[in-house]
Amino acid sequence: MIIETFKHNMAAHCESGTLTALLQHKGLEITEPMIFGMGSGLYFGYLSRTPNLNFPMFILRTKPGKLRKKVASRLGIKFKSQKFRNPEKAEKELDSLIEKVIPVAVQVDLYYMEYIPEWERVHANIHFITVIGKEGDYYTVSDSYFPRLAKLHKDNLNKARFAGGYLAPKGFLYYIDSIPESIDYKSIIKKAIKNTINNMIGVQPPFIGIRGMRMFGRKVLGWPKITRDIDHLSHEIMKINIFLEDQGTGGAGFRFMYATFLRQAAQIFNSPELEGLSKKMMEIGDGWRKISYFAAKIGKNRDLGPDKLGELSNMILERADVEEQFYKELKIVVNHLN
Amino acid sequence: MKEKEAYIDYEPHQLMLYVEKDDGTFGPMITGSHLSKNYIDDYFEKMEKLRLSLLQQLKDNLISPVEYYRVIHDFNVFELSKRTRISVFKVKKHLKVKGFYKAKVSDLIKYAEVFDVPVSNLFQVIVVEGRDSETKNGIPDENLYKVLQTKTQNLHLVITKFESGKK
Repeated sequence: MIIETFKHNMAAHCESGTLTALLQHKGLEITEPMIFGMGSGLYFGYLSRTPNLNFPMFILRTKPGKLRKKVASRLGIKFKSQKFRNPEKAEKELDSLIEKVIPVAVQVDLYYMEYIPEWERVHANIHFITVIGKEGDYYTVSDSYFPRLAKLHKDNLNKARFAGGYLAPKGFLYYIDSIPESIDYKSIIKKAIKNTINNMIGVQPPFIGIRGMRMFGRKVLGWPKITRDIDHLSHEIMKINIFLEDQGTGGAGFRFMYATFLRQAAQIFNSPELEGLSKKMMEIGDGWRKISYFAAKIGKNRDLGPDKLGELSNMILERADVEEQFYKELKIVVNHLN
Repeated sequence: MKEKEAYIDYEPHQLMLYVEKDDGTFGPMITGSHLSKNYIDDYFEKMEKLRLSLLQQLKDNLISPVEYYRVIHDFNVFELSKRTRISVFKVKKHLKVKGFYKAKVSDLIKYAEVFDVPVSNLFQVIVVEGRDSETKNGIPDENLYKVLQTKTQNLHLVITKFESGKK
């Protein structure tokens, strides 16, 4: 059977997209940028010493699961969630929920999503899809990164749900139990924006927020020393583009989506100041997009000498300066919102 | 970013961007991936070069098959240890040729599961028309030959089937 009433849409990001689709299915009219913004999803971190990583990487959003938890507590949405030790029990539970016509979000390792082109499939335990049906050995899934509903063999779904390693899904699933009758958007938005400002310019470890951006800008100069050869360096530099654009960010490392959230928030508050800042965030995003295009170009051309890496470093440091100023302005505006 | 500047015509890899529309509003658009459209060949070249270099090291008995697949899948030792539930100490041993010889079959089955290949592929490379294949389903888009590897209930046994002349 397939839950026919579920509407599949592509989304910018898998976690916010899945959540938005489930909420819309339950009857709440809400957009993905609002979910992303109200869950304070925007973040920055430069991780260089995490044991599970092969190479330093930067993150652009909060830890997987945090967005959903924040949206739940702020909006008063009740989720039912479960983790499993036994894959058979996990499959049974999933099947029984689908039988009850409940779309279910599951956490998976992206690698096993057989419908996605091979070059996009990497081992990442932080992908979310919605399961909306089962016919024979195949599940029907709604994946925010795929234009259509897709079929996924039950063996692959089981492998994906029980892949081990960093942030292992452990069969995690969730679905929406209830949504509130009314939501006080204004107070949630203010709280969420303040939370994001704190993540970016508040007291944080040196690898988080604006300080993390500056660390990234400085450290990228040393990447040639920690790569195997020029091809490896090129691969890692080109991954900057993947992290900023292709890995479900809505463009420019979530900046375009956050700008859209601020624009929608400005309409709710009827605030021209916030609207001006949404425009500014869009421009900040354009700057990040220039970085991602530049990284792809020098990576492809193997033009990775100190000059070009220096240029890349300066572009990142410049973004950090511009964003720092932006959050300071945002802090003033949000404190005066009514 | 303006909508018209953001559009990339590339159907195989689509994604959603948030952009500034012509009327000044911000909203979503579906477009193609800039990286996939312009640089995918470079990615395939790099991966193939890496694979061939690792394969040569494997042939020269310089690395173990576990190390070969570890690099291909971009796992570090800790991640591989967690995914296979084999201790870091043992994984480090199995990455080396001497250590691999001493690995238990049960460990090899765990590695094969994580690398998503039949366990037999830790001991063989299948070559068809000069193109070697270690992937689980053989060679994609191969018109002359198709290699299908099917796992069986017996975890040690895989059926390798060659089909020829199929389009």
